[in-house]
Amino acid sequence: MQHFTHPPLKNGILKWKVITSILLVVIPILLFAQTKPISGIVKDENGNGVPYVTVTLKDGSLATRTDSAGRFSISAAPGSVLVLSAVSYEKSQLTVGSKSQYVITLKSLTSQLGEVLVIGYGTQKKSDLTGSVSRVKGEDLKLLPTQRVDQALQGRAPGVSVQNTDGSPGGNTVIRIRGSNSINGDNSALIVIDGLQGGNLNSLNPNDISSIEILKDASATAIYGSQGANGVILVTTKLGKQGKAVINYTFDGSVANLNNKPKLLNAADYAREINKVRLAQNGNGAQPQPIFSDAEIAAFQQNGGTDWVDQVYRPAYTQNHQLSVSGGSEKVSYLLSGAYLNQEGILINSAYDRYSIRGNFRAEIAKWVSFGANLSTSKEKSNSALFGGSINYPANPVIAAPRFSPTIPVYDSVGNYSAAALRYANPTLWNPVASAKEPIINNGTIHNNINAYLEFKLLEGLTLKITGGAILTNIDDYSFYNNKTFTGLAKNGSGNIFADNNTYFQNSNILTYDKTINKSHFTITAVAEQKYTKDFNSTINASDFAVQQTGVFDVGGANTVTTASSSSERVINSYLGRINYIFDNKYLFTASIRADGSSVFGSDNKWGYFPSGSVAWRASEEHFIKDLHIFSDLKFRVSYGVTGNQAINPYQTLAHISSGFNYPYDGTDVSNLGYSITSTANPKLKWEKTAQTDAGLDMSIFNGRLEFTFDYYNKLTTDLLLPRVLPSYSGLSSILDNVGSIRNRGIEFSISGNPFVGKFSWNTGLTFSANRAKVIDLGGVDRIGFASGGFGGQSVNSVFMYLVKGQPYGEMIGYGYKGVWKTSEAADAAKYGQLPGDPHYDDLNGDGIINSKDEKVIGNSTPKFIFGWTNKFTYSNFDLSFLIQGSKGNSIFDISRIALESPGGTSADLLNRWSPSNQNSSIPAIIDQATRAASGLVSTVKIPGSSANRTSRWVEDGSYARLKNITLGYNLPAAISQRFHVNNLRVYVSATNLITITKYKGSDPEVSSYTGNDAQFGSDFGTYPQSKIFNVGLNVSL
Amino acid sequence: MRNLNLFTKKTGFQLVAILILLSSCKKLQEEPKSVITPNNFYTTTTQIQSAYTASMSLLWSRNQGYSAYMDDFNQDDQIVRGDLNISENYGAELWAAHYSALLNINTAIKALKKGLVGVDQGQIDDLMGQGKFLRAFNYFMLVRIFGGVPLITEDTPDPVNVKMARSTVQQVYDQIISDFTDAIAKLPVTRSADMRGLPTRDAAKGLLAKAYLTMATFPLNKPENYAKAAEMAGEVIDSANYSLVPDISTLFSVANQYGPEMMWSFNSNAQNQGPDPRIWSDMRGFGDICAEPTWEQAYPKQPRKDAFIETTLNGVLYYDLGDYWPGVKKFQYDAPADFAAGRSVVSMPIIRFADVLLIFAEADNMAKGAPSQKAVDAINRVIDRANGHVINSEDPLATTSMTMAEFDNKVIMERDYELCFEIDRWFDLIRKHILKQESLPDYQINFSDNDYLWPIPTNDIQVDPLLTQNPGY
Repeated sequence: MQHFTHPPLKNGILKWKVITSILLVVIPILLFAQTKPISGIVKDENGNGVPYVTVTLKDGSLATRTDSAGRFSISAAPGSVLVLSAVSYEKSQLTVGSKSQYVITLKSLTSQLGEVLVIGYGTQKKSDLTGSVSRVKGEDLKLLPTQRVDQALQGRAPGVSVQNTDGSPGGNTVIRIRGSNSINGDNSALIVIDGLQGGNLNSLNPNDISSIEILKDASATAIYGSQGANGVILVTTKLGKQGKAVINYTFDGSVANLNNKPKLLNAADYAREINKVRLAQNGNGAQPQPIFSDAEIAAFQQNGGTDWVDQVYRPAYTQNHQLSVSGGSEKVSYLLSGAYLNQEGILINSAYDRYSIRGNFRAEIAKWVSFGANLSTSKEKSNSALFGGSINYPANPVIAAPRFSPTIPVYDSVGNYSAAALRYANPTLWNPVASAKEPIINNGTIHNNINAYLEFKLLEGLTLKITGGAILTNIDDYSFYNNKTFTGLAKNGSGNIFADNNTYFQNSNILTYDKTINKSHFTITAVAEQKYTKDFNSTINASDFAVQQTGVFDVGGANTVTTASSSSERVINSYLGRINYIFDNKYLFTASIRADGSSVFGSDNKWGYFPSGSVAWRASEEHFIKDLHIFSDLKFRVSYGVTGNQAINPYQTLAHISSGFNYPYDGTDVSNLGYSITSTANPKLKWEKTAQTDAGLDMSIFNGRLEFTFDYYNKLTTDLLLPRVLPSYSGLSSILDNVGSIRNRGIEFSISGNPFVGKFSWNTGLTFSANRAKVIDLGGVDRIGFASGGFGGQSVNSVFMYLVKGQPYGEMIGYGYKGVWKTSEAADAAKYGQLPGDPHYDDLNGDGIINSKDEKVIGNSTPKFIFGWTNKFTYSNFDLSFLIQGSKGNSIFDISRIALESPGGTSADLLNRWSPSNQNSSIPAIIDQATRAASGLVSTVKIPGSSANRTSRWVEDGSYARLKNITLGYNLPAAISQRFHVNNLRVYVSATNLITITKYKGSDPEVSSYTGNDAQFGSDFGTYPQSKIFNVGLNVSL
Repeated sequence: MRNLNLFTKKTGFQLVAILILLSSCKKLQEEPKSVITPNNFYTTTTQIQSAYTASMSLLWSRNQGYSAYMDDFNQDDQIVRGDLNISENYGAELWAAHYSALLNINTAIKALKKGLVGVDQGQIDDLMGQGKFLRAFNYFMLVRIFGGVPLITEDTPDPVNVKMARSTVQQVYDQIISDFTDAIAKLPVTRSADMRGLPTRDAAKGLLAKAYLTMATFPLNKPENYAKAAEMAGEVIDSANYSLVPDISTLFSVANQYGPEMMWSFNSNAQNQGPDPRIWSDMRGFGDICAEPTWEQAYPKQPRKDAFIETTLNGVLYYDLGDYWPGVKKFQYDAPADFAAGRSVVSMPIIRFADVLLIFAEADNMAKGAPSQKAVDAINRVIDRANGHVINSEDPLATTSMTMAEFDNKVIMERDYELCFEIDRWFDLIRKHILKQESLPDYQINFSDNDYLWPIPTNDIQVDPLLTQNPGY
C-alpha cells in the first residue's frame, strides 16, 4: 500500500465529503483505470505448481485460471487485489504493485488441523485434542448483526442449546450444553473470559471476540472440577496483529415489530360473546338481559373498538455502534474498543442500553518475561414493565392486553385510564396501557473485568503464567409503581430499591512444561488457584407514599418502609494437574485431576476430587489410511471423567433461623419481629457429581472440503442436591441432601463443507443434537412437582410440571382432553353427566368418573432434537448468510390461551365454538343453565377447580424450524475502497425471525415463562413476545 | 528496561514456590455474618417473643396459614363452593404451618426452662405461660382437623433418622389440658394497651372450655367434660373481664379489634395484613370466601345479618347479577378506602366472649340435662344483641322451658350465625357429628364417614412408615 501518496489519514477523512459527492462520477473511471498485463505462478508449500487455481480481481470484473504448471496471466491495475482460490487450499490475496511477475504460495487447507484451540488453562493443536471441543470463530459471529454473544451461539455448535426464552430487550437466554444435569442447581455452563471464570456473556461486545470454545466432554471440562459439570464456554478476546493499526467501525440499525399478533375478536363480536355468556345465566328461572343492546353492537361494528395489543406494542428501533483500534509491533500488541447499544423494546416503555469499553494489551518485556492485561467495563440498563408467569397476572400488560375488553377505550371520559368492565369482564384485570406505561423501572448493572498476567519462560519448554483477576459487579435496581398501577394502588404507591455489590477475585498460577523426545510429545500442566467471592446486598421496600411525585427517589415520603440486607462469602481453593502425551502423532492420551476445596461444602466434605482420562487414535496418520488418499483427518476419541456442580449456596449446610416472620403479636400497629427456624444443619452436603463417558469421531475428507464430527455421550449425575423431604411434623419441610440422580444420553454431530470455492463459494454447516434425559432417582419420592402454572385465575394453580422417577425429564401431567362431545355421542356424554358441547375428558381408568385417577402424561417439555443449519454464499463482492434453526418434539403448555378461549374471552377462535351445526370444534359450547338443569344430569367430572385447566387442551407441539437470520452483505471492491484509505467497507441488510414454521398457536415457540428451574420449562404465560427484526448495517475498517 | 534484570531465573523459581505456598490464604470454614443459627439465639426476652411471633406469623400472614387456606373449610355449609370431595393431601399446608409454629414454640420453651440470664421470674413465667398457651392452641387445631397427631414437646427429634407414630386423640387432649392449665396459672389477667394482643388468663380459660366441650362430643364423646367446660366458661363470664360489644354493627370495627369482646385472635395490622380483603368483598368468587346462597337465605333477618353478610353489589341483589354470591361483610369494617385498596386490617377471632357464652350455654345444658337460667341468660345475651335488643320472631330468645335437645339445637344454630366465617362451623359439624345432615344436597353425594377427618399429608405418610393414614384416603 506504499504506492499511495495521499496525505495522512486525518486529511483523508476530511476529504471524504468531497470524494463521496463525486463518487458516482468517479467509479466508472476508476473501473477503467489504466490496467497492465501481469503474470504469475502459484505454488504449494512444497514448491510445486498448483493447477486450476481461480484468479479473480477482487471487484469481480475479471477471472482466469492457472494452467497445469500453476501459471496465470491477467490484466490488472496497480493497487487492485487478486483473489486466488482453489479446492483444498486456503484463499489468498495479492495486491498488484509495480512488478509484473509474481510468485504466490498457497497454504494447504489440511494445515487447518494445525489450528490452535483454547482449552482450560492452556491451548492445544486441534489435531492433538482428545476431548470434545467445539469452536465458534469471531468472524463467524461478525457476519451476523449480533448484539449479544449468547444469542449468536444459537445453532452453531452441536450439543449446545440456546433458547431465547423471552423477547424483551436485554432478555433472558438459556444456554445448555448436553442437557440439564441438575434439578435445583444451576445448569448454566461456566463462562470463562480470557481465563477469568464466572464471566457474563451479555456484557461482552461481540466484535471483541476472537473465538469461543465450548468444552463438552469430561476430558475437556474435568479440569474445571466442581464447576465443570455443565460444560465450559471459553471466550477469547482479540488482540491486535502486528503491522499497521486497524480502525474498525460498525454501525447497525434495526427496527423490530411484534412477530405474531394474536387473533382476537373485534368489539362487536366480543359484545356478542359477552351477551351469549350473560344469557346463559338463566338458572332458577332467572331471565337475564343482554349486556349490550343491538344498537351498541351495531355501533361497535361501525366504529370498531380498542385494539389493546396495538396499544401496548410499537415498532422498536435499535442502534448499535462499535469502534475499535488494534495493532501491534513485534513485542507489543493491543486492542481498544468501545461500543454503545441502544435498544427499544416492542412493549411500550421498555428498553435496553449497554455501554462497553475494552482494552487488551500484551507486551514482551524481556526475552523470557511478558505481561498482558485485559480490562473491560460495561454498563447495562434495562427497563420494562414486568412480564412472565410469576407476575400477578392482572398487572402484567402482556397478559392483560389481549384479554382486555375491546369495548372499552384506553382512557375514560375524564382522561383517566379505563378500568375493567365490572359487569362483564374480569374486574381485577388492570388497564394494560397503564401497566406498561406507568411503572418506573430501572435495572442497572455495571461489570468491571480486570485481568492481568505475567508469563515467564523459565526453561526451554517450561513456562509459568501468573494471573490475577477480578470481576466487580454492581447491581442497582429500582422501581416505582404509582396509584395508576395495580401494585401501586393496593399499596398506595410502591417502591423498591435493590443494590448488590459483588466482588470476585481469582488468582491462577499455571506451570506448563512442553517437551518432545523422539516420537513422544509431552505437555504437563500444573495449576494452583484460589478464588474468593463476596456479595453484599440491600433492599428497601417502601409503600404508602404521602408524596407520589418523588416516589422511590425519596422514600422519606413513604409511610411504610421495610429494609433488608444480606451478605455472603465463598472461597474455593484448587490444585490441578494435566498431562497430554502424544506418541508418533498417532496415539494421544490425556489425563487430568483437580482437587477443589470449597467453603460452601459441608464440614465433613470440604474437598472434592475430579479425575478424567481420554485416549485418541489418529487413524489418518497410519499408512494404510494415508494410502487411501481420502482422509486428511480421521480420529477416534474416547473419554471418561467426573465433574461437579457447586449447587450449594453459602451457609446452606448450616442450620438457619430466619428473619421476616413478623406479626403483630403485641397487637399494636407495629409488627413484632419474628424469627423462625427454617432449616437444620447438614454437614455432609457436597457437590453434585457428573460422570461422563464420551466416544467421538472427527473426520475430514477431500482435503478438508468436508468435515464431520460425531459424539455419543452418556452422563450420569448423582448426588443431586434435592430437598430430602422431611416429615412436616418436624416443623421443616426438607433438608438439602445429595440424593437424586439424572442421566443424559445423546448424540450430536456436525457436518460442514465447502461445496463450492472460487468466485462463487458456498460454505455450509449443519449441527444436530439429540439428548435424552431421564430421572433415575429422586431420593425416596416418586415425583417432584414444579409450579409453573401462573399466579391465580387460570385454574392451573396446581402443579403440572413433574420430574417422575424412571421417566423422561420434564413431564407434564394432567387430564386428557379429547375435544367436545358431539351430538351423536350424547349417550356417552350423559354417562359423565355431560351434554353435547361439553368438554370430553379422557376417562383413563374407565370408571365413569373423571378424577385424579385419570391424570396422565400430557406432554414433555424437552425436545427430541435440535438443529442448526448455517450457510454462507459469496459471489464476487456479495455475501449471503443465513441460519435456520429449530427444535423438534417438545410440548408447550400455553397458559396464555386459557382465558382467551374461555367463555367471555377475546380469542377469534371463539367464533368457531362448538354448536350443533359446528360439531368438530374443540371449544366447548356455552350451555345455558336452564338447559343444563332440564337435562337432570349430575356431572361426574370431579376435576378440582384449581386444576380445571390442567388438561391437554392447552398442550401443543412446540416444534419449529425458523429462518433465524438472513443477511446480505456487499463489500466495496478493494480497488475502490482503498482509494479512500478504507481497507474494507461492507454494507448489509439483514432480517431476524423472518420465517417460522410451527404448529404452535401461541406467540412464539421459543418460549419459557418459568426459567427458575429447568424442570419448570415449557409453559407460556405472559412472556414478552419475540419480534421480527430488520437491520441495516455498515462496517468500515481503516 | 534495565530494572527487569531484577527478574532472574532464580527469582522465577522462587516465585513458583511462594505462589504455591501462598495459595489458599482464605479459609474454607464458613463464618456467616448475616445468618443466625440456633446455637446463638433464644437468650433474651425479645428473642423468645420473636419465636412466638414467628409461630403466629406462620398461621396468619398474607399467603400463609389460615389467612391463605381458610377456604379449605368450605366443606361446611357456610362457605360457597365446597363439595365434600376431600382429596389426598387436603389441608397439608395447615398441618405444616402448625408444626412449624410448634418447632419455634417448643424450642423457645426449652430455652426458657434453662432460664434467661438477668430476667426476673415473673417475666419468665409470663413467657412460659404464653408458650404453653400457644402450644395448646396449635395442638387443639391439629387434633380437631386431623385426629391423633405426632405429639412433639420440647425436643424435636432428628428429622432424618427418627420416625414418630401418631399419639391418640386422648393423649393429644391430655397435653392440651395440661398446657392450658399451666398457662392459666402463669398468664396475667389483663394486659396493658401496648400488649393487648397477648394471651390472657381468661383467653386460656375460654379455649380450655372449648377443648373440654369438644372432648365431650365426637370423637372422644366423654360427657363428663361438659361440666368442666361449663365451669371454665362460667369462670370467664363471672370474672367479667370481657363483655359483648353492645352494637353488633361495630363488633368488627377497628376500634373493637382488641376487646372488650375479642379475647384472642389472629391479628392483622397495616404491616401484617391477613388475607386480601377482596376475599370477603368480591362477590364473584375470585376471592375464595363467599357465602352459600342457601345458607344466606336461611339466616334470620336481624341486624346481625345486615352486619355480617353483604347481599347487594352497587344496590343490586346478588342473585339478580347472575354468577354472584353473598359477600362476607363482617370483615369489611375497615376504612372503605383502605378496604377497597386491599389494605384492610381485619383480625380473625380465635376466642371471643360471645363464643364463651355459647360454650357455657351448651355445656351447662348438656351437663345438667336441661337449660338452666344461667345457660338461657348466656345464650340470650348473644341473641338479644343479634336482634338489636328487640324481640324478633325470626330468632327468638331461648327459655328454660326448652328441652335439652331443643336448647342444644338452638345453641348450635346460634353458633352457626354468630360465629360464621370464623373457622368454627366446620368444627361444630364435626364434634356434633352432623356433617351429613347439615350439608347441602349437592355435597351429600360425596359424603362419607371418613370426611370427619382430613388426611394426614401424603408427604409425611411417605417418609414416615410409622404414621397411619386416616381411613378413606
